Order: sequence, then C-alpha cells, then structure tokens
Amino acid sequence: MRSPSIVVDEAARLAALDRYAILDTSPEEAFDDVVRLAASICQAPIALISLIDSTRQWFKARVGIAVTETPRESAFCRYALEQNDVLLVPDAFTDDRFARNPLVVGEPYIRFYAGAPLTTPEGLNLGTVCVIDRKPRTLTGEQLDALRVLARQVMVQLELRRMIAERTIAEEEHRRSETRMRSILDNALGSLIATNQQGLIESVNVVAERTFGYSAGELDGRALDTLLEWPAFVSLRDVNLGRMTESVGRKKSGQLFTCEIALFELYAADDQRHFAAHILDVSERHEVERMKRDFITTVSHELRTPLTSICASLGLLASDVMGELSPEARRMVTVAERNSVRLISLVNDILDFDKLQRGTMEMEMQPVSLRRVLEQAVAATNEAALQAGVTVELRETESVALGDSERLVQVATSLLSNAVKYSPRGGIVRIEVMAVGESVEVRIEDRGSGIAPELQARLFRRFERADSSDARTKPGTGLGLSISKAIVERHGGTIGVDSREGEGSTFWFRLRAVGDYRQFLTDRAGASS
Amino acid sequence: MRALVIDDEEDVRYVAQMSLGRVGGMTVLVAASGEEGLATARRERPDFILLDLMMPGMDGPATLRALRQWPETERIPVVFLTAKTLAFGVDSLKELGAKAVIFKPFDPMTLAADIRTVLQ
Repeated sequence: MRSPSIVVDEAARLAALDRYAILDTSPEEAFDDVVRLAASICQAPIALISLIDSTRQWFKARVGIAVTETPRESAFCRYALEQNDVLLVPDAFTDDRFARNPLVVGEPYIRFYAGAPLTTPEGLNLGTVCVIDRKPRTLTGEQLDALRVLARQVMVQLELRRMIAERTIAEEEHRRSETRMRSILDNALGSLIATNQQGLIESVNVVAERTFGYSAGELDGRALDTLLEWPAFVSLRDVNLGRMTESVGRKKSGQLFTCEIALFELYAADDQRHFAAHILDVSERHEVERMKRDFITTVSHELRTPLTSICASLGLLASDVMGELSPEARRMVTVAERNSVRLISLVNDILDFDKLQRGTMEMEMQPVSLRRVLEQAVAATNEAALQAGVTVELRETESVALGDSERLVQVATSLLSNAVKYSPRGGIVRIEVMAVGESVEVRIEDRGSGIAPELQARLFRRFERADSSDARTKPGTGLGLSISKAIVERHGGTIGVDSREGEGSTFWFRLRAVGDYRQFLTDRAGASS
Repeated sequence: MRALVIDDEEDVRYVAQMSLGRVGGMTVLVAASGEEGLATARRERPDFILLDLMMPGMDGPATLRALRQWPETERIPVVFLTAKTLAFGVDSLKELGAKAVIFKPFDPMTLAADIRTVLQ
C-alpha cells in the first residue's frame, strides 16, 4: 500500500519542529513507553521515535538500536515525511529507494520498515514512530492501527510540551514586564497610590512607603483620606482628575508636609473604577522659596538703617544747617542725596512687593475721600513736577470710596509721578475723578509720547518698563505699576491704561463703591472656604 | 524742648541729634542702649523720647515698659523709630503706649516738626 505523496513546505516544517523544542532533549519515560509498546505490538526488534531536521534524523526514544541519530540522507523516515499515512517497506532489497541504503547493506541491516508520520495540527510531519526488522515481513491491520494511534499519542505529548513551554515563556515575559513596571513605579520621584472608587488603597510604590512612613501592608485597604489633609476623596476624585493641586500630606508620625497631588483614573480589566494619586513632597522646595523670600526681606530691612544715616546726613548737608557749602559741593551733595532717595524707594518697593506676595500687607479699609488722597499725591510729586516744568491739574470732585487711604495715596502718587516723569517740559497732567456706574474711577492723563499697544499689557508686570532705555534716563524700579496693580486688586478694583502713541497716556484705576466692595468681600470669603 | 534719642546705631543717633537740634532747635540727649536710655531719662526727664525699636539687650518695647515703671518717666511721651515694617504693626506699638511710630529712613528736615505735631 503506497499512500500518495504530499507537498512538503520544508521551511514551515523545520520552524514547527523548532517550536516543539524537542530536539536533543534527554530521554523521557512517556516517549520510551511508546517505542516499547510499538516494538511489542508489532513484534519488531527495533522501534524509534524519529524527528528529522535539516541534516539528520534524531531519536527521541529508541529500542534495539544504540545510535541516537543518523544522517538525513539515509533515513527511511524522510520518505515518510511525504506521506499522510504509514510508510510501509516490506522488503528493502526489492525497493529501489532503499536497496543500496547503507542502513540496509550495513548495520543494522534493515529489511523491513513501517513508519507512521508525526503530524502537527497544521498538517506538517515532524518525523515518525517507526518499527524496523531485519527480515522481510509486513504488519497486520491491528498492528498498523496501533502504530497510527501511537504516532497520535506522541503528537499529543509533543503538543502538551509545546503548550507548557509557551506558557513558561509567557509567564517569564510577564514577570519581566512586571519587574520593569515595578522598577519604573518604585523609582518614580513621587508617591504613587492606587485606590478603588471609594479611595481605599489598593497598591502603593516604595516612595509612598518611604514618604508616609507606612509599609505597603499597612497602607493596603487604608483610606487615602487618612494620608492627606483634604476634603473627602469621593468629593474630589472627579473634580480634580488630571489636575495638579496642592495639599498637605500626613505621615505616620503625624508630621505634615506640603505636597502636590495629581489624581488620575486607572483602567483595569474589571467593571470597577480605579484611581491613582501621584503625590510629590514639595516641602523642601517651599522651604527654599520661603528662605529666599526671608532673605530678601532681611536684606531690604538691613539696608534701611544705613540708608537712613546716609540720606539724613546728605539732607542735613544739602540744607546748609551744618554750615554753608560751596555751590559745587552742594551740587555734589544733592546728587548723592537724590540717588540715596532712589535707593530707598527701591528698597521700599521690594518690601511692598514682598508683602503683597506673602499677603501680609495690611489694609485698613474705611471710607476714604478721593480728593484728599489725590491732594496728598499731588503734594508728594510737587517738587518733581516743578523741576520737570510740568503743571498738574486736579479737577475737584468729591468722591468717597472704601479703601486704605495710605495705600491709595501710594497708588495715586506712583501713577502721578510716572505721568510727570514722561511729560514733556511745559506739559500738563490732568487728574479726574468720575463715577462709572457703581464704581469710582480716577484718571491721570498725560501728554507724553504714549505707549505702544503691545507694551500696554506688559507694563503692569514686575520690572517691565515701557522702554528699556528708560532705565537709564528715568529713575524708577519698574515695580511701581505692579505694586499699584496688586494694591488696587486687593481693593477689588481694576487698573489699566488707555494710550495712543504720540498722543499721551491715561492711567486709571477703578474702585468699588462702598456697597459693592462689601459684596466683593463676601464673594471672596465664599470662594476661599 | 528737650529730646532723648535712644538708638544703638551711632550714625543714626548723630543724624537724629542734628535733625532735632540744628533743624528743630531742640536740646538733644542721646543714649546707646535701652538700659542707658532708662537711666538718662530718669535723671534728665526729657520732654519726649525717640526710641529705636530693634536693639540688642533691652529692645524698644522692653525699654518702654521699663520707663512706665518709674514715676519720674511714666508720663514721658515715646515715639518709636523703626526700620521694620513687618514685625510689629503700628497698632500694636501704639497699644504699648507709644505716641507715634516714625519709619526709617526719616526726613531730617521735617523730623522735629513731625514729632511736634504728634506731641500736641
């Protein structure tokens, strides 16, 4: 019985053989049993499980033969690869394919061969289960069937091996990937805490253990809320999702620290919602910022005492009370005095700015007469206006706003001295107070060179000046407008400038009327609670 | 009018003395510490005291409290002089019994007049 030949895709066959990872493995009882059974059932002295790679046939199990492999060219089994059923050679001497085969004319003197192919589920033949005899013969129908069954059993064994091997590889890969993820999480700078939708902790990284002083076991199942001084997790989880917020963390020791938290949602393969919090301890950074601010404050304060002595000395000298100076000497002293006054105003601006940033600038809010505020500002800039040859016109309008009168004088003086500074000689600065709805607006109008639109918005920022060359020609710190803006905003008001290049500028600030300001305070209290 | 300036900084003492004396026409006594100032005040009984807030040893508030302990200095008006604008609010200094607070740097030409105004 000759079964029809089949076309063999040798590359695919070798690849399949490779996947079973069976070649050159140690003997195994399950396979040894098969060849013993085959030899016994078929009454044959030799039985093999033969697997054929590109150069040889290799025996996974064998009975009646000592060698573990032979060259592929002489292998009977390679003919079996082209069959989809048992290859039966009753007498090799009378078969052209095998008559001169070294295994026929020499050891082990094969005369009879029967090989059932080991066929993979995709139809590729890896080798055979075969029986061999040294005399011509054949197999009974039962023996042939048994050989086929044994070949199928070998394939079942091989399939099992392959599945186990693949699972082991997958598990190894999974373990590696998990180790990699774990290492990323554990080496992250911040604490990572995963929770369920109630905010109960499910897992944490090493940083979280270190930061909060709890072990992972202690944190497991604990409410995230117990680690943070914040409103309840459930009220925040959707509002704060994907946003960085600042909060206070609580360590196991009870110690509190400033932290930044980003909440995000995790996707797990279940129908529950999961969240994770990334928590970064920023207390050190805050401490550095605080020290920096303290340093600025201290230096600024320390500068005031020597400046007091310098300024007062020069003032006394310039006024001739210490004896009359020569005109040249007086001029020198005046230069020195003017510059020490500038230095003082810089120090004052820095201190004001610092106070506004810290929120420690005290404001005493009461009804203030804007006329009196503006009169004081005019008086404060009177000398500068005289020297610059600028006339200041204050249009009398009685108006009352709620505010800190000293701070409002500071704002008005700052705007007015700017207007004087940037006015041409002989120019006029007009001050007007007008009611705009419920608000009161102070407008200070100059006939200077005006400010380009793109510069107008930047003006109120720290250290910005309309023209950087101004820094050399016009005294000032560049802080005045940003301080004024902060003060006006603390009043719940607004500040701005209307200007056209070549036509002058009008700086204005608008304050809330008394009733309106009370509403502002109520709103602000509500927003911050 | 007789003034007592208490300040640990010699330069500040001197310019204050010149401002009050040469510009303001006052008689000016000086002391370099709270302790010395207290002794001078009890002995000389000035019309007012210009008292530095921050001094080593007895600082301004401590000196003020000490002055209030003695019958001969109890009623002498005290004006604080300070470079600090944060540590003590003006209100808390006035609660201690100060008549006024003058911030450094002061205007040497108007210092005497300013003090006369607050003392009236």
